[in-house]
Amino acid sequence: MGTLRDNWRVILLVVLLAGSTVALFGSIGGAGDDQGIGNDTAVGASQGPTNLVYGLDLSGGTRIRAPLVGVTAEEVEFGNDSTGQVAQNVAAELQGVDATDVTARQPTQDRAATVEVTTRNVTPDDLGAALDAAGYQHGDVRDGVTEETREQTVAVISNKINQAGLSGGSAQTVSTSTGEYFVLIEVPNEQRADVLELVSQQGQVQVEAYYPVENNSTGDTEYRRQLVLEQGDFQDIGNPEQGQQGQPPNVPVVIRESEAGEFQRTMVETGVASQGGTFCTYDENPNGTQPCLLTVVDGEVVYSAGMSPGLAEDMQSGQWESNPRFILQTSNYSEAQQLAINLRAGALPAPLDIGPGGAGTSSYISPTQGENFRMNSLITGIIAVLAVSGVVFFRYGSARVAAPMVLTALSEVVILLGAAAWLGYPLDLAVIGGFIAVIGTGVDDLIIIADEVMAEGDVKSRKVFQSRFKKAFWVIGAAAATTIIAMSPLAVLSLGDLRGFAIFTILGVLVGVLVTRPAYGDILRTLLTDR
Amino acid sequence: MVAFDVPEVDYTRYTNRQLAAVPLAVLALALLVIVATFATTGAPVALGTEFSGGTEMRLAVDAPDGQAEQVIQQAFDTEIESIQSIPSDGTYVVTFGPGTDPAQLEQTVVNPPNDAAQQLELVSLSTVSASFAGDSQRLALGGIAVAFLGMSLLVFALFRTFVPSIAVVLSAFSDIVIPVALMNLLGIELSLGTVAALLMLIGYSVDSDILLNDHILRRSGDFYESTYRAMRTGVTMTLTSLAAMVVMTITATLFGIQLLSAIGIILVFGLAADLMNTYLLNLSLLRWYMYEGVKR
Repeated sequence: MGTLRDNWRVILLVVLLAGSTVALFGSIGGAGDDQGIGNDTAVGASQGPTNLVYGLDLSGGTRIRAPLVGVTAEEVEFGNDSTGQVAQNVAAELQGVDATDVTARQPTQDRAATVEVTTRNVTPDDLGAALDAAGYQHGDVRDGVTEETREQTVAVISNKINQAGLSGGSAQTVSTSTGEYFVLIEVPNEQRADVLELVSQQGQVQVEAYYPVENNSTGDTEYRRQLVLEQGDFQDIGNPEQGQQGQPPNVPVVIRESEAGEFQRTMVETGVASQGGTFCTYDENPNGTQPCLLTVVDGEVVYSAGMSPGLAEDMQSGQWESNPRFILQTSNYSEAQQLAINLRAGALPAPLDIGPGGAGTSSYISPTQGENFRMNSLITGIIAVLAVSGVVFFRYGSARVAAPMVLTALSEVVILLGAAAWLGYPLDLAVIGGFIAVIGTGVDDLIIIADEVMAEGDVKSRKVFQSRFKKAFWVIGAAAATTIIAMSPLAVLSLGDLRGFAIFTILGVLVGVLVTRPAYGDILRTLLTDR
Repeated sequence: MVAFDVPEVDYTRYTNRQLAAVPLAVLALALLVIVATFATTGAPVALGTEFSGGTEMRLAVDAPDGQAEQVIQQAFDTEIESIQSIPSDGTYVVTFGPGTDPAQLEQTVVNPPNDAAQQLELVSLSTVSASFAGDSQRLALGGIAVAFLGMSLLVFALFRTFVPSIAVVLSAFSDIVIPVALMNLLGIELSLGTVAALLMLIGYSVDSDILLNDHILRRSGDFYESTYRAMRTGVTMTLTSLAAMVVMTITATLFGIQLLSAIGIILVFGLAADLMNTYLLNLSLLRWYMYEGVKR
């Protein structure tokens, strides 16, 4: 039993290696578990023969990191006004700002009431002045949005990614040490432009009636636009359909019963639903067209259409209300898809600050490039290990000392890979940099142990070995502590891509100092004392 | 099997001043380079895209040898900051300044407006806005400062005597300053990889210094004997890491894995500087402390 107790470190090393092997290759590993600690890069699917999850660097895809556009006034006194009234009053004081861009929030337990404006070109000073002009007392006005808006936006973006069928994509909020918040979006295997198109649209869908009215005083005809349907008015949103028989691509929808009557009435009143239907020429001749229905996304008219004679008749007779089906037409199929996604996922409460002059970052790596990086960094790592092995074999001239050294250093990498697979932490280039750092410090420590133990002749007794090992361990412990201290700022601060590097270096140094490097000492003792 | 051994240096032939002169002169030169860079550009080192903002594209070019760069120049009507060739897969890394619109660059490749652009294929693209880059820059410099401070405090806590501790901190400082100066001289930009490497150096470089201090201060035996034993181990350690990093730098450069080649090259500089700083600067300070400082 004595040998068991003396060699507990070696046994622990074997157990850890076995555990890592199971995590890497077994079918019960936690691969694909997106709840991993890697909240900076939590996407990627496990590929190949192992349970390892690869980050975007090594699998290909798009990453977007951007703050949300908006300014927020804290501690606003609403008086007796409702949030809707506050929003309207504030919007009225700001040039080019719609009431839908202003969000007033009632106080909660954690914070006082706030007013946010989520549109570009409004500075905190502008909002402050607008609140003053509208007669609302307020506290600080700052850049940025509230936590609720952030959470809702992230939820809508996630929803959009899911609706668009981009598998493995994710959205989340990350914060920097300076207290700024970014939304991080990662979508494997997709082009940057496609992801940007999906998430940079705020996706506010409105349907408006466009109709001529006689001006009583001048007798001229002028056109009016009236909002008839909004995002919340749809009960069911169908799948986008390719148009057929002269019908453009479209999204079939069902209007809520509570809204259907009102919609029908407005259609008849504005003349969109006239006898024999309407023919819309909004695109060619907006000042001479029959009444139209406009599909408006983010304030822009994306499609205009008249109404078919059949539908117009149903509306006029009032039958339509009992079966309020409707189609939203678009000019092509991809627009129909986009429209359906926007309708289902809802509008972003605040847009992402991306694009020219924005404050975000984005990157795209093609899947083949990711795959190449995966293979090439593996080769690079192996060559680095061979270089290390070469030097230690050359230096000690003894396979007894050098071979276990190289094997111990490699076992640290296996344990770290096992940990990555088990945690579902996505491997990227930075993590691989961490592995290299670990091999580097590991071999340094093993050389210290070997030199110390073999100093001044043969190690005859266990006692001599123990005292020498203890001395060596002081240096190793001190060196490990400095490495951990040097890396901890990176592990805590979110400097985006270097976090994985720091986390895995620290993890590797801990595993090394607590388990594998002492185990090497035990192996060396067995090899040297039992002669 | 042939084994090499670390040769014993006869330190008694040199005075402390002679020993310290070389590393101190190199450190002074390095600081001068950094100050000069700071005076001319406003930053201690040239900043890469991650820290200055801009767009970096990696492109595969379908053009005969030698004409690829010309094709890239023709394809974009925006100003190109640099074009770098990656030999292993024949791609090119093209860098644009912070003023360019990444969407437009991307469109140029995806929907080619001219013949030259038709020959390009997008391998990867990353774009960093100027304001985000500024934040990263502050974070990186702050991170290095905090890491260095933490390391210094720990070293003082470990040795609890002034001269040996400051010797370690001073050589670690020089180990970081020399690679930064070399970056300026060789035109290597500060990137996420080089920041990682500088942080790694803080951890690596003190290993051999701590080892030397431990052998001289905490072990029995004559000064020169302890020094030789520490050197045998320490030089082996540093040479091993150096060998690994040289090899890694070369392979990663050939493969075009910029993050790893950046880490590698900085560590090669830093570890080489560490050999000099540990066994000249740190050693001379320790010898002064052992023979003269202690008596006072």
